[in-house]
Amino acid sequence: MENMENVLEIINVSKVFGSLVANNKINMTVKKGTVHSIIGENGAGKSTLMNIIAGIYKPDGGEIKVKGKTVHFKNPNNASDCGIGMVHQEFMLFDDLTVLDNVMMGRERTKTGIFIDKKKTRAEIQEICDKYNFNIPLDSVVKDLPVAILQQVEIVKVLYRGADIIILDEPTAVLTPQGIEGLFNALRFLISKGKTIILITHKLGEVMEISDYITVLKDGQVTGNVLPSEVDEEKLAGLMVGREVLLNAQHIEKEIGDEVLKVTDLVVQDKDGIERVKGLNLTVHAGEVVGIAGVAGSGQKELVEALYGLNPPVAGSITYKGEDITHASCRDHRCKGIGYVPQDRLGAGANRESSIWENCIMGYHVAHGFKNKLLLDRKEAGEFTGEVIKDFAVKTPSQESKVRTLSGGNVQKMIVGREFLQKNDLLIIEDPTRGIDIGAIEFIWQKILQLAAQGVAVLLVSHELNEVMELSDRIEVIYDGKLTYAGAYRELTEQQIGLLMMGGKAVDKTQIKKD
Amino acid sequence: MTKLRLKKINPDVKFEVFKYVLAFVMVTIIASVLISFQGEEPSKALSAIVKGALGNSYAIGNTIRWTIPCILSGMAAVVAFKSGVMNLGIEGQLYFGAFAAGVVGYIIELPPLLHIISCIVAAGIFGLLYSVIPAILKLYFQVNEMITTLMLNYIAILLTELFTVWVMGATAGVNPDLLATPPIYASAKLPVLIKGTQGNAGIFIALAVVIIVFLIYKYTIKGYELKQVGENLKFSKVGGVNVAKTFVSIFLISGFIAGICGGVEVLGTHGKFTSRFSSNLGWDGIMIAMVAKNNPFGVLGISILWGILKCGSMAMERVTNTNRLTVSLIQALFVLFVTVDYKKIAGMLRDKFGKKKLELSGEVK
Repeated sequence: MENMENVLEIINVSKVFGSLVANNKINMTVKKGTVHSIIGENGAGKSTLMNIIAGIYKPDGGEIKVKGKTVHFKNPNNASDCGIGMVHQEFMLFDDLTVLDNVMMGRERTKTGIFIDKKKTRAEIQEICDKYNFNIPLDSVVKDLPVAILQQVEIVKVLYRGADIIILDEPTAVLTPQGIEGLFNALRFLISKGKTIILITHKLGEVMEISDYITVLKDGQVTGNVLPSEVDEEKLAGLMVGREVLLNAQHIEKEIGDEVLKVTDLVVQDKDGIERVKGLNLTVHAGEVVGIAGVAGSGQKELVEALYGLNPPVAGSITYKGEDITHASCRDHRCKGIGYVPQDRLGAGANRESSIWENCIMGYHVAHGFKNKLLLDRKEAGEFTGEVIKDFAVKTPSQESKVRTLSGGNVQKMIVGREFLQKNDLLIIEDPTRGIDIGAIEFIWQKILQLAAQGVAVLLVSHELNEVMELSDRIEVIYDGKLTYAGAYRELTEQQIGLLMMGGKAVDKTQIKKD
Repeated sequence: MTKLRLKKINPDVKFEVFKYVLAFVMVTIIASVLISFQGEEPSKALSAIVKGALGNSYAIGNTIRWTIPCILSGMAAVVAFKSGVMNLGIEGQLYFGAFAAGVVGYIIELPPLLHIISCIVAAGIFGLLYSVIPAILKLYFQVNEMITTLMLNYIAILLTELFTVWVMGATAGVNPDLLATPPIYASAKLPVLIKGTQGNAGIFIALAVVIIVFLIYKYTIKGYELKQVGENLKFSKVGGVNVAKTFVSIFLISGFIAGICGGVEVLGTHGKFTSRFSSNLGWDGIMIAMVAKNNPFGVLGISILWGILKCGSMAMERVTNTNRLTVSLIQALFVLFVTVDYKKIAGMLRDKFGKKKLELSGEVK
């Protein structure tokens, strides 16, 4: 490590948002040809730091050196010109365009400066794919591709822009164990070709596995620059949150009650009329957590949409406490005491342009609170919002703050809090801990188990296998629109379930989508 | 911007104020140039506008007259836009409202207050009924309301003209400019506030609408839902808001207010329904709602400004050589300047001509 070139140096970088110090004199050195992980809780300042490095934010103080030279990025293009590329947590791709179009967007090679030279561009992109071992279909339309491939598209995109330093923001959040292994292999290959990777993640196991260096952030400050060989997971977690964190949920003794949700022979089509759920049967009992694991795009989305009345099924029936709700609206669901934590946090879960209190009472205002159906009881709204903020540790200056000012993890805590604190009998939960920190994951997990212990039926649909395994009393795997029973709590191993998620066939690391 | 309580002036509010001031300054400069081109001194023309709009009680009365329809059609637009419904059919709904008020006004004679109320209610209901068509098309056939409402405007204008022909018992040969229903009874007329002017009690109806709409948004559950539907439809749907019902009610409320706007025009100013009477009042409302950023009290302020410009421009034409259309042009420019995304432009300019005065002191305040 002594002789390796310092490809990126962060010296005393600070960034302030209003009264919040997001980054406070951060110091960090990234060496060429390494995987440098940055870990920390939500709001620790990881994303802010990365956005500064990628030229999206300007630092309020400090210095950034790329390959020994001090740089002042005015915009992401400047950073890109210096060889820094970022793969965001939410992919920045145009759904309706092909992979090729997406990759070349903004950096088209042209003929005589006017016409796009697709041939030449394609050749260049293909060369990159070959060089770095990416097997992606250039002519496929982005929306038809699975998440793991899209991630590779994003990586190819930054490579095409000449990136030497690639920042990956929470890249494993959406992947299966096999997909993660595939990603890590790709990252190792990139490093062997002299690229440098900066990895932001919450998952300590992954950090230990792939990192050459680790920087830990807490409350906007660096609490540790360590080598993986010097620490273990518990010590890292300690640096992150300042306390010991156990990543095992503590199961509570409880009784399983009556059947609450029963799904029979459900068939659901997506918007294009393609069958995504193909005759699915499912039951959830009071006090039971049923976890549905599966590779993204196996029909989870359509199943949940049908269950919550967003997309009526074409066949089959859904009953709730013996009552047919196959064609009930979302409002009916709310009124009957069914809560929903959607995966699409900012689209369906929250309204960015509204204040926190306005977000918190959504749903509550229909089904649970407000005796007066005409006037909005601001006091009650404030009380309920206060409860959500307090019980779920939502970091915000006030209830009047707009949701767009909150970090992703805090938005999720707010959504989960809102749904959990309403007195629902059934909760449909999709990816409740995607992209949030360990402290919050542990907290939300515990809340889910507590809810179940109180007799609430919970249907947990998650792309995080570990989450499904830790929380569920019964695990089902969804594959190609159908469920497969995958044992009770701790009955099968991660590998066994992972195999079921792939349709029980041999593990395929590139995850070609099976329609 | 939806909050009017300015506990402390935050940067957003400051920026908005800056924006309006900048728009005003730019428009004044452009207006001066345009007026100079027409061989008139800008200061003279501009003072003619101010004098003509606010110089004496007569002028103020006529400013009020023009402010009334601006407020009402502006509110009709605000209700729709705030909830994400692009109702461009205010003009048409306004015609139906005006026609209904004109008919109820001449057909029966009632005690004064009752007569006014029945005319206004009839106007509102007709405006509402006319907005049912695009609502149904949107709801059941997913037809974009921008297109339907826009097209229905032409139908409304010509249909009310046809109705007027029937009412008059006239033949098709009549000059369209003379087509009008019989004058309404005096009992249906809105009282004039300032003698000798057209400034009438319709202003109170307009103010009441502003306050009611404001209260609905601020204090009712329905208002909360309306706002959420406008800002994030899917979020509202998942949250249990009956989106279809809300959508229809937005159309109906917007149409109702537009109808009232037409009714007040007939009862307060014209005294009868004249075909093609509206000089794009509905479109003014849409502009005003945009400038006011869908804030009810913003609509009030901008409408007063619009009233001043409308009334003042006519006075200006009388006393100077400047064409009154100059003012219409200026109004349109004002809308443009206010709706420009300055932050984005500033960002683009910064990127392009990048000033290298990034202060990297390493200090955090």
